[in-house]
Amino acid sequence: MSVRAVVAKDFLDARRAKIVWLVGIHYTLLIALFFLYVRLGSADGPPDLLVALWNMVFVGAVFVPAIALVAAYLSIAGERESGSIKHLLSTPVSRRDVVLGKYVSRAGIVAASLVLGFAVAAVLAVAWFDSLHTAVFVQIAALTTMYALAYVAVAVGISAVTASRSRAMAGALGFYLMTNLVTLNDDISGLAGIEYVLNTVLGLGIGEDPIQFVGMLTNPTRAYLVATVGVFPDGLLETMDLPAPDTLSWYVQPEIAVVILGLWLLLPVLVGVRQFERANIS
Amino acid sequence: MTAIRTRNLTKRFDEDVIAVDGLDLRVEAGEVFGFLGPNGAGKSTVIDMLLDFVRPTEGDVTVLGNDPAIDAERIRRQTGVLPEGASLYARLTGREHVEWIGRANGATVDADALLGRVGLTRDEADRAVGGYSKGMRRRLALAMALIGDPELLILDEPSAGLDPTGMREFREIVRAEADDGRTVFFSSHILGEVEAVCDRIGILNDGHLVATGTPDELRSNLDLGGTISVDVARVPDDLALDAIGGVEEVTVDETTITASLTDSTRKIDVVSELDERTRVLDITSTGTSLERLFETYTSSEREELPATDDELTAARIGVGR
Repeated sequence: MSVRAVVAKDFLDARRAKIVWLVGIHYTLLIALFFLYVRLGSADGPPDLLVALWNMVFVGAVFVPAIALVAAYLSIAGERESGSIKHLLSTPVSRRDVVLGKYVSRAGIVAASLVLGFAVAAVLAVAWFDSLHTAVFVQIAALTTMYALAYVAVAVGISAVTASRSRAMAGALGFYLMTNLVTLNDDISGLAGIEYVLNTVLGLGIGEDPIQFVGMLTNPTRAYLVATVGVFPDGLLETMDLPAPDTLSWYVQPEIAVVILGLWLLLPVLVGVRQFERANIS
Repeated sequence: MTAIRTRNLTKRFDEDVIAVDGLDLRVEAGEVFGFLGPNGAGKSTVIDMLLDFVRPTEGDVTVLGNDPAIDAERIRRQTGVLPEGASLYARLTGREHVEWIGRANGATVDADALLGRVGLTRDEADRAVGGYSKGMRRRLALAMALIGDPELLILDEPSAGLDPTGMREFREIVRAEADDGRTVFFSSHILGEVEAVCDRIGILNDGHLVATGTPDELRSNLDLGGTISVDVARVPDDLALDAIGGVEEVTVDETTITASLTDSTRKIDVVSELDERTRVLDITSTGTSLERLFETYTSSEREELPATDDELTAARIGVGR
């Protein structure tokens, strides 16, 4: 497999780009700030790490896609615009190798910058909080990494189907706004949009669960948030005013969300490979 | 054996833009082929199709016996490429570039020796390419093309950005590579460098191959006579050299009379005529450079040139070979 040659070169090149580390360090700082906020803010009794971890999920939900998109949206389109892709494609590699190699390399860089954030969070958890909740912590870290790689897959996919930096940026930014920023406000979220079209416009009278399912399918952020719900104990969910998973249909359970997140790791890259194999590189 | 063969190769972009139009090209193994044409003639598009960067709209291509659409990886393994207008990786050093290409080709590379050969010092090799001059980048790119003992070198405008010394050094390297038995496919818009290094030349204009042949064949097919300069003791008053057949233009600069001819066999008539009329001090005869030929083929106003009918006929002979 010549994917390895692509990975080796790209990893060497991309890890020297400062922007990726800049965003990664901001993520770490934000985690630390939220941990501090929870630590100082708990007036009644000892501070609860679970609340801090819940905050880490929300910081991650917004910031992790940004890290992933910034790290990967130029991976192929940038080389096409500068022409350096011709040097890359003059070596005995297939176009599929190029897309897969870029994905592996950028996924590795993003995962490394997340590990930095998790390491700081783990140290703060031990230093500041009463109970470690190791299982919850590890699961959150794993799901967040998966979530990050889903957005790396999207960014590499966008980069593979666009021929210029500006289009890749428009695509990445557009995807970020559509799937992430609007999700934070319930009234304008993707779910509200899906419900409006299906029920108000088409009058189908579809329940909450199918709408949630469509939301998970179309949006990796939604899938991530539903998946993380399964990690926390029911008691915490009640205080957060969230329904416990066992009151919901099987297809909107956290396990299903993990599977859907897994699909997001693959499908955008496969679309990217398919399109890039057909592209004119001139 | 044929290194590169195209039949009716055509590329249209966006339906109405024809970059390459029905190109029939054959490059034999072991020759240095100069692919000549003005900017925008379609040279890079042809090269892009040889390497499967761009897929043909019509026609076929074989490179080293392989179809790029099916076996691009095999072609690239046997081919060293110096692409045009392709930037290098600013954050990587020269040495890292060379090592990467070596690894990708499964070849062991003596980076210092190779970079030294193209004129990059050890210090320069360890600097990030972001700080390289245009000429240094071009040298590094040539070094990258030479890695892995390729059978075929495809060099797209290799001397762009080089100074005259650099261009000469490049030509020497190309010649040495060809002497090792490699095929070199060399595109340029500068006739001089192609003429100096190539065994055979193909001239591309507006996506069409307008002439092919050795530099000598192209010259003799067109029967371009060249110029003759004669230093005389005194310029005769009623000089009528234009009356001699084949003389195209006569200029007089003090005591030097220069005549350009379409037929080299008439040079002697010019000298005899002057010899009768005055004392001849010195004679300088030059063959026509291909420059004029190139200009003839690629000038947009070539229909208006008086001599073109003959030349186009000659060109068809060249193409038909």
